[in-house]
Amino acid sequence: MVDPALVLSSVVTALLVGCIYGVLTLGLNIVFGVLRIVNVGFGAFVMLGAYITYFLYKDYGVNPLLTIPVSFAIGFALGYAMYYAAFRRLVGAPELSTLLATFAVGVLIQELARIAWSPDIRGFTWDIGVLELAGVRIVYSKVVAALSALAVVAGVYYLFTRTRFGLAVRAVVQDPEGAMVVGINVDRIYAVSMALGIGVTVAGGSILAIYLQQGIEPYMGIPYTLLAFVIAVMAGLGSILGSLYAGILFGFFEAASFLAFSMIKDALGLDILPYVLTRSAAFFLLLLTLLLKPEGLFRR
Amino acid sequence: MELVVERLEAGYGEMQVLWGVDLKVEKGSFTVVLGPNGAGKTTLLRAIMGVVRPWRGRVVYRGVDVTSLPPHRKVAMGMTLVPEGRRLFPELTVEENLVLGAYSRGFKGVEEGLELVYRVFPRLKERRGQKAGTLSGGEQQMLAIGRALMSRPRLLMLDEPSQGLAPKLAAEIIELLARLRDEEGLTLLMVEQNVAAALRRADMVYVMEQGRIVVSGPPDKVASIEDIRRAYFGL
Repeated sequence: MVDPALVLSSVVTALLVGCIYGVLTLGLNIVFGVLRIVNVGFGAFVMLGAYITYFLYKDYGVNPLLTIPVSFAIGFALGYAMYYAAFRRLVGAPELSTLLATFAVGVLIQELARIAWSPDIRGFTWDIGVLELAGVRIVYSKVVAALSALAVVAGVYYLFTRTRFGLAVRAVVQDPEGAMVVGINVDRIYAVSMALGIGVTVAGGSILAIYLQQGIEPYMGIPYTLLAFVIAVMAGLGSILGSLYAGILFGFFEAASFLAFSMIKDALGLDILPYVLTRSAAFFLLLLTLLLKPEGLFRR
Repeated sequence: MELVVERLEAGYGEMQVLWGVDLKVEKGSFTVVLGPNGAGKTTLLRAIMGVVRPWRGRVVYRGVDVTSLPPHRKVAMGMTLVPEGRRLFPELTVEENLVLGAYSRGFKGVEEGLELVYRVFPRLKERRGQKAGTLSGGEQQMLAIGRALMSRPRLLMLDEPSQGLAPKLAAEIIELLARLRDEEGLTLLMVEQNVAAALRRADMVYVMEQGRIVVSGPPDKVASIEDIRRAYFGL
């Protein structure tokens, strides 16, 4: 009844898109994990990355892959500036303040983008070929996007677990006052972590743009905010590799529920939209995780 | 003078805790601050270190006004604090905690530092790969002191290092600090409840009450004041 090629293709898509989800979630998770700030404006930074890739490729012919480090650098600078401009005062502030502040920054960036670049939906084509495997078409640019996502996750993982900076970050997370008395500039660790988190998010936006190549508009990031929250909760808030694992897991969940809803639709002749239902199923997954394993699935 | 504190005022939010504290710590001395719970002893050390920002007054370290410097700058200058509650990094290993102690030195001299700490606390060497959170109370206190020593401080401040320790171990730790003072040329400023052990080794004692210094002097003089004797020595 189920076409094997369709299943195989779903598995491949789940894996590829899962890596993208993973890197996006990582951006959210770094900021939360170190500063305990939930970045509700997350989607705006994803959008920013997508536009950077779009303009650099379309207007200047820059290889889309090279736009990823550019986005990271811009995001890093933006995050650093944001920390000293506003968020420095919000570390340890009541959640409502940080939620409102990040929400406000997100809205600001989105509206500026709409004014600067118009609300038109844009897209580009970066065609580097297609791999045909057992009747499944795998688009190379999507593979490249997924591999870039893995590279970013690996880089962040290395930074946080194998370097002295990472050791200092872990010290700050575990005991900020202890970190102060050993001479760590806690303020700077927060600033750099925020910069890294936003940098990864904007770079993630570029990776997402390479993956999708379509649908680039000022509000495109909003659904990813929701998605990244669900995945971050599954990952365990603050967990680096967990973000990737949960992203991939979520990719599979999405593919499976999409297949299931499609089959239900066909079998029962119901007038439903499988993709929309998949999105609501994500919230069911969120509730389930919070109920059964609130500390996350991938947390040591 | 290693440390001079003048009319220091500090607190949390609206609540003022220190009401103009004056204190002097001589180079190479073992200075002890006594006082009941809530007298502001912990806040005093935190304000000197810069963990809480002083409201008014001055902190002068080796002739330099450091009142408004952040803690990491002070650590780099040779001040450090073993804070109340130890403030270790529970998920990191004993050795990682110690290595982080050398952070302000750009991790220079980690090897020699570890050697010194492991010589002083052989117990920590045995547990070097263990997570700090799994240590016993006494071992955690050793680690907190060891971590502070890793920055090669000249002025070591300690907030109740004997808290939660068996009296025998507490006395041992104080003896050990006194020895470090003699051997390494450290200056010690300690806040303590374990009065008997602290006084045996102290050169100078300050008694704090309600955010002010009420009595100061050498231990024998302070101990001879009737009120103090009754309040702190149970004699």
